Amino acid sequence: MYRYDVIDREFVADRAAEFRHQVNRRLAGEITEDQFKPIRLLNGLYLQLHAYMLRIAIPYGTLNGKKLRKLAWIASTYDKGYGHFTTRTNLQLHWIKLKDAPEILEHLAEVEMHSMQTSGNTIRNVTADPYAGATADELDDPRVWSEAIRQWSTLHPEFSFLPRKFKIAVTAAAKDRAATKIYDIGLAMRRGRGGELGFEVMVGGGLGRTPYLGPTIREFLPTRHLLSYLQAILRVYNRYGRRDNIWKARIKILVASLGAEEFARQVEAEWEKTRKEVVDLPDTELARIRGWFTPGFAKLNPRSEAFEAAKAGDPRFARWARHNVHPHKQPGYAIVDVSLKTPGETPGDMTSAQMELVADLAERYSLDEVRVHYTQNLILPHVRQDDLPAVYEALKGAGLATPNIDLITDIIACPGLDYCALANARAIPIAQQIATRFADEEKAELVGELKIKISGCINACGHHHVGHIGILGVDKKGEEFYQVTLGGSGEEDAALGQILGPALPADKVAPAVEQMVEVYMRERKDGERFLDTFRRTGVAPFKEAVYADAH
Amino acid sequence: MRALTGNRLADGETVFWRKGQWVERFAEAELFADDQAAETAEAKAKSELTVVVDPYLIDVIESEGLWAPLSFRERIRALGPSNHPQHGKQALGGEDIAALQQAHGAARSTGRVALIKRK
Repeated sequence: MYRYDVIDREFVADRAAEFRHQVNRRLAGEITEDQFKPIRLLNGLYLQLHAYMLRIAIPYGTLNGKKLRKLAWIASTYDKGYGHFTTRTNLQLHWIKLKDAPEILEHLAEVEMHSMQTSGNTIRNVTADPYAGATADELDDPRVWSEAIRQWSTLHPEFSFLPRKFKIAVTAAAKDRAATKIYDIGLAMRRGRGGELGFEVMVGGGLGRTPYLGPTIREFLPTRHLLSYLQAILRVYNRYGRRDNIWKARIKILVASLGAEEFARQVEAEWEKTRKEVVDLPDTELARIRGWFTPGFAKLNPRSEAFEAAKAGDPRFARWARHNVHPHKQPGYAIVDVSLKTPGETPGDMTSAQMELVADLAERYSLDEVRVHYTQNLILPHVRQDDLPAVYEALKGAGLATPNIDLITDIIACPGLDYCALANARAIPIAQQIATRFADEEKAELVGELKIKISGCINACGHHHVGHIGILGVDKKGEEFYQVTLGGSGEEDAALGQILGPALPADKVAPAVEQMVEVYMRERKDGERFLDTFRRTGVAPFKEAVYADAH
Repeated sequence: MRALTGNRLADGETVFWRKGQWVERFAEAELFADDQAAETAEAKAKSELTVVVDPYLIDVIESEGLWAPLSFRERIRALGPSNHPQHGKQALGGEDIAALQQAHGAARSTGRVALIKRK
């Protein structure tokens, strides 16, 4: 877990005090809303449909028990007793009062957290593989590099007023659990010819109105040059990114208009000019950071009799273990996915009581670590296999043991028109309707891996473009309609979805999903995933099934 | 017919104009048949810098014998989030809430278009 030093602590506390002063000025009428709005956005405070929304940064989705318990306390003290985890691994509180916001920032500062750079045209909260430090398929712990980026990018004076917001994701594993191809910069760790570590650098991915997968601009960047190279990318963007048109201001538009090759050439030229003057990553600092992420694993027997016996004796536990428990690099340990996707509930929502329970479980059973995944689930990364039955029982008691990771009910949905001032349509009720239809765990298991992602507007916070089934809410003369896309993926086989056909009214979306699943079950061969079947058959059979009535 | 709405500065609560005051329930909102009266109220509301943020006019329709905002978005603002029926004004219940919940027919409110332009 990262740690603040004295300067960090004083700075974050001072920042909360400064914000209190500005809030008081606003409430007293000394500054206008137009003057105040950029200040509140600098602190992650938005005004949404029903109240203020505070977006709290969770750097690379990493929490410990103390931080999660504090978030629970803030949610119950200043909100309605729940919070919403997002696809950027942040926590959003949807019912905040302006006058309480400075006090909340003070409480966050006490546990080394804040809301800076969760809004605005800055480098946003960096995200990373949530299995970092726990999975055997990683080349290194991506949190070490994510933390270096966090320190470098937080309030970077040169990059605090970019043409648009800027998002970075990091992974060090072959399996892309950080969706690196859909971010402004995606960093995927690779090994060089001599065995040394470096990054494949992808730039200019992004969803929204104009979706792109990030092209690779450098196959291999030695790790020691990470920050100077990031600086070169940001400098080219800061210099040439469009500021005249909000819809064309993201770096993806610059990369697409120049072409990846020309963009890469400009970055390399900038890098050559500046790299020697930039303080890159000192080994001593890297070693210090690495020390924060080295938990003390016990030497355990790779096979746990308690785990095996529980699987044999309880089919529900066995199902949960099949879907929510994953192999760990350390013998005798396991990674546990905590599903926030109980059918009928709101994807990503968690009550204060549930947060407190997971905080307890992290401290007791997971070396005091919790991760947030962009899929809006939580992860206990270091659970002893012997403890899995106890962890399961505790999660089950809190409604957190739904065995559905990567299944059809594990749906991403943004807050949509239920909360968001920008949304055109609701996303949550559509997710609830679909999940309820597939609530039968056996049925969902039979369907297998199927990722549904729902956004309430074109900004694509719900990642609909990269859903196996993507659903986008659109406004047709004030009525909610939903455009369906098929065949997207946000992982190592990343792809943008293909439009199925005309947008559907709200009550036709869940039946359409059911019809498409029927097509898949009929067409699939040899254990194919939904995505594989779609890639083989194309859109035609799905389209035919959904729009049959229209013929 | 139109109503005037905004969010209260101190807590962000959705509020409605009623004869120079702000009320929380849509049912208590003043309805304007006359465009000039509506725009005068809007201008006055915009001058109340320490009370309300981004006031704007919305269209309303008749529903179940009562009035309801025309646009779906405005009905959600007046009710609360549909995933948490215990939150927002819908939790209070009543005839006026039922009328909002049953309202049909929608069009994007002109107020919202202006709001988006400001964001």
